[in-house]
Amino acid sequence: MSTQTPAERELAELLVESLNLEDVQPGEIDPEAPLFNAGLGLDSIDALELSLAISKRYGFHLRSDNEENLRIYASLRALSTHVEQHKAG
Amino acid sequence: MRMLVACAGGAGRGLTRLLLLPITVYFLLRRPAERRDSRAYLGRVFGRPARLREVARHIHTFAATILDRYFLLSREMQQFDVNVTGAEALHERVDRGQGVLLFGSHLGSFEVLRVLARRRPDYAIRVVLDRAHSAALTQALEAINPEMAATVIDAGQPGPMIMLEIQRAAQEGAMIALLVDRTQPGEASERVPFLGDSAAFPIAPWQIAAVLKIPVMLAFGLYRGGNRYDLVFEPFSEGIDLPRRERAAGIPALIGRYAQRLEAHVRDAPYNWFNFYDFWKYDNPDDDAGVEPEPAQAGVHRRGDAGEHAGPVLGDGAGGKR
Repeated sequence: MSTQTPAERELAELLVESLNLEDVQPGEIDPEAPLFNAGLGLDSIDALELSLAISKRYGFHLRSDNEENLRIYASLRALSTHVEQHKAG
Repeated sequence: MRMLVACAGGAGRGLTRLLLLPITVYFLLRRPAERRDSRAYLGRVFGRPARLREVARHIHTFAATILDRYFLLSREMQQFDVNVTGAEALHERVDRGQGVLLFGSHLGSFEVLRVLARRRPDYAIRVVLDRAHSAALTQALEAINPEMAATVIDAGQPGPMIMLEIQRAAQEGAMIALLVDRTQPGEASERVPFLGDSAAFPIAPWQIAAVLKIPVMLAFGLYRGGNRYDLVFEPFSEGIDLPRRERAAGIPALIGRYAQRLEAHVRDAPYNWFNFYDFWKYDNPDDDAGVEPEPAQAGVHRRGDAGEHAGPVLGDGAGGKR
């Protein structure tokens, strides 16, 4: 497992908190493992909850109108990179 | 379907309706499965064995609304007499600007919602529909009304993408229309009392509602014969507030309350029931081996959450058989 950057760690905390993941320590999420399907095993309702939490915390909306989204949701690292590029302020 | 649409385009509604009788006779004679399901359903609603003419009327009503779908989706709506109730409640909620979830069903015609677009062109409505699953409807829609087809949220794409589109539509203050009665194979569902027995309803729409916390309205487009439709909007919730850990426990009560409302409208318009299969049967989850499940829950456990996953979201919207 590669090491989480501080931004990834912060996002991991938001993820665990907003999704109420039991038995998952934010620091233990592999930044390169898939979030959905295998890996962390999130489902589509989790995706909705997570995108709302990201909107609230980082002040921007994940867009639904491009193919990039599948890539953005691919892993904690990909999601964090996207958040860092787009967050407000 | 395509043939019917071609006839409808050329001949107009009155002439095309002449085809309804032979279509009904065809279904009565050549489609024993639908005939049997119709008879069983009507018997359940009436509390006595259904007569053949009642089965015929059921099939005729279905064929009539399929035909009307063409005229409702094209711009020829003025020939319909649509009596709308509950529009004020809907307008008031849409005007709050946070989006509204509009829960429909295969009871009657969902297409009659189109009259809203005509009366309030400023309203955005996004219909969640599986394009691949309801190919006939999608093609018809694209042929008849491409602008409207473009607003469909495709339920066939990966779950997270559907959710982002729904979230975005809500942010834009749109009405998001879903059909919430039909459970797809492999989809997470909950059994609640419905017409004297327990029936499975999908849980995903209620999970979506609990996350978005925006108003939920029920919509029923009931065919009343001739050119008459009743379009009924009912407030269901101002915003479902179920904290995540209470969701699994709280959703069955919501579905149960929904099933009661659906039952009331079924009793009011029994021939509008367009789920021509055994709605009450038990699905053995082991039978769904051929169905690709939604992202599996790989060992993640939540507090107060049994770990259900949201299956393929929602019915196919085709209004037909499956």
